[in-house]
Amino acid sequence: MSDPLNIPSRKEVLSDYQSSGQDFVAVYPIHYHRALLRAHDLMPVELWGPSQYSTTSADAHLQAYTCSVVRCGLSFALDGGLEKARAIIVPHSCDSLQGLGSVFLDFIQPKTPVLTLYVPRGRREMDVEFFARELMALDKSLAKITGKRPSEKMLHSFIDNEQKADSAMEAVLNNRIRIPMSNRQFYELMRTRQYVAAEKFEKLARDTLESMQQDNRTDCSHKLVISGLVPEPAELLSVMDDAGLTVVWDDTACIGRRIYPETDDADPYVRMARSILGAPPDSALGSSVEARLAHLLDLTRNKQAQGVVFWSVKFCEPELFYLPQLSRGLELAGIRTLLLEVDISEPASAQVQTRLEAFAESLT
Amino acid sequence: MSLRDSLMYHLNVSLLGHGALRIQRIKAQMTMNRQGWWHHEHLNPPPVTSAWLKELISRHYLKGRWITGTQKVAWVTSGAPIEFLKALGYYLIYPENHGAVCGIRRVGDEKCKVAEHAGWSRDICSYARTDIGTILSGKTPVGKLPKPDLLVCCTNICQTVLYWYQVLAQQFKVPLILIDTPFLYSKAPEHALDFVEKQIQYAIETAEKVAGVSMEPKRLRHVTELSHDAVDLWNRIMHTGRARPAPFLAFDEFIHMAPIVEMRGDQATVDYYRALLAELEARIKNGTGALKEEKKRVLWDNLPIWFVVRKFGNLLASRGVALVASTYTNAWGELADLIDPHHPIESMAKCYIHPILNRGTGQKLQTMKTMIEDYEVDGVLLHSDRSCKPYSIGQMDQQSILLKQLGIPALLLEADHNDSRVLSWEQSENRLQAFFEVLGV
Repeated sequence: MSDPLNIPSRKEVLSDYQSSGQDFVAVYPIHYHRALLRAHDLMPVELWGPSQYSTTSADAHLQAYTCSVVRCGLSFALDGGLEKARAIIVPHSCDSLQGLGSVFLDFIQPKTPVLTLYVPRGRREMDVEFFARELMALDKSLAKITGKRPSEKMLHSFIDNEQKADSAMEAVLNNRIRIPMSNRQFYELMRTRQYVAAEKFEKLARDTLESMQQDNRTDCSHKLVISGLVPEPAELLSVMDDAGLTVVWDDTACIGRRIYPETDDADPYVRMARSILGAPPDSALGSSVEARLAHLLDLTRNKQAQGVVFWSVKFCEPELFYLPQLSRGLELAGIRTLLLEVDISEPASAQVQTRLEAFAESLT
Repeated sequence: MSLRDSLMYHLNVSLLGHGALRIQRIKAQMTMNRQGWWHHEHLNPPPVTSAWLKELISRHYLKGRWITGTQKVAWVTSGAPIEFLKALGYYLIYPENHGAVCGIRRVGDEKCKVAEHAGWSRDICSYARTDIGTILSGKTPVGKLPKPDLLVCCTNICQTVLYWYQVLAQQFKVPLILIDTPFLYSKAPEHALDFVEKQIQYAIETAEKVAGVSMEPKRLRHVTELSHDAVDLWNRIMHTGRARPAPFLAFDEFIHMAPIVEMRGDQATVDYYRALLAELEARIKNGTGALKEEKKRVLWDNLPIWFVVRKFGNLLASRGVALVASTYTNAWGELADLIDPHHPIESMAKCYIHPILNRGTGQKLQTMKTMIEDYEVDGVLLHSDRSCKPYSIGQMDQQSILLKQLGIPALLLEADHNDSRVLSWEQSENRLQAFFEVLGV
């Protein structure tokens, strides 16, 4: 399948930012609000790894039982990969990212300012209130760096743009089965949301929707939902393509769990907070097993998926805790499940590829 | 509450159980007071009060065995505010403490394997695996764990507890109260303190509904006072380790900390710690150390390696190395001043957001530096605990600073608090022997 969209790579986008003098901020996983950065004229560029990046530099600071997303991310920073960023943001997503933020601030102390953001684990009104104040505090920290004081009107305008981009992303996912793209290409497109502007992503998504078929594709022998943190190493997506597996919905923390609902609060901080805390069920937001299971069952039924692949990063406790009860619940409902455990600093092992191929055969 | 449950409880706990345990304690104390009962090459006899500890812990678990139907039960995380639960009459179970009991009794691996067999990864916390394995197998060295009516999870020790308690909530189908304590990279912001206070108020309302009773402010104040007194006494007990020779080691603290974690807010805990402190102060006066010969003094960082606590203690004792303090046990004493019985809820919010594990790694290093000075420590043992990332991440930098900037010998030991399959004893022993050489013993 060709790439008529000319999906821009992260490298190209970063190069454009640098040549045009556009400031950017490096953001570690998972939840934050892009609009807040955009209002400060900062482009968020997310750091989910990078995949297959050597962890040697981080090994002097983090134990080997820290997840590879964090170890690769720290290595990349230590090797100078974030020197051109105006700031580094470390949202508090798990114990390992908490540790990363703290090691950055207390010991490594890079020249680039490091900012943290505590994301509450509940969805109560008091969580929204707290998170709004936390976002306000982040806004103040950004103001010290950029010297800008975005107005409420400006914040609302950027929130509107992000909502449109999220809505476009949801539409693309909803129509996945009619989009003639391989899994690999599809994910390249979806993951541009992590480094291009909302307006640019929205256009890419709309162009994709315009090019889709009238009817469902006939080359999808098996439909899948993938669930996890981040679909890396990406070559596994090609293995899925070769095995006739098509991802019809995404429940990863980097994509599907960040399709934030639209909100309309008058206070822009409350609006951003409510939107993030209204995200689909997610381990990093402290969702119950029940909520996550119900969500996965809904997705698989609505998309007529035959299986769920749990794409787990080794040592990622937030994901690992849920798996036995989720798998059991799905299997009871007749949905096949497969657990793939990967270390994103390494290429996909042949064993993992074989398991994926065997899983595809078992669906036949 | 059924009449049968109540009768069984009073017969087995109040009448037979308490009596039998008291007799056991008296017998043990008589033995310990007899001349010549203790034979150890390197260690002096333990405090006589230790027999009381055994009685306290056994009574607690005995109560749990018969509690169902007589009192509401809450399972809580070890760092959670519990004063309001005690004031509402809840009986508390701490799965982490139970995990430690399994570790000490060396049945932790067995429980972990049950959880792993059911699908839980070996990469998740071994306390959680021990707990899940206990629930699935129904077997525990303490006889029986009562099922919870309520789960209370406070994230001030890690985020892991939240995922763990979500598993428990799914298993037991009971309400889960979350007290989310924003991590403090630096000073606690006002909005974080407000947030924790609101959650405690909300938690009280939920706990009242489940228990079917209303909070009596007088009762809450009384429990908070007891909690404050116990924490203060615990702090003073740990401070006895500053004496030379130290009458009490961190290995002893690992065992004697059970009441401060599990029975905070009880009069019995205050009485017990008061007696222990008096005995330790007498030992200081007599110049009796925990070791027969104390040559060097060391600080411990992180959770104990429960399944080898005694073995480890003996190894250090054989070289005259006294483990005089630990950042882990210190965590239950260092915040004593923040507890204010006259403002229980506000002070709970302040106190429970500040534990060592909810503060930055630099602040932990600062705590270590202070303890190194206060306890006149010659070296630091950092347990890199595979099951506890919030405690362990940062240790590599901490070790490096201790070594390079302060010139303090510091050893990073790879292990796990409850999963013995992670520890290679021979390798660890070799590394410890090298560490002893650096210390000059």
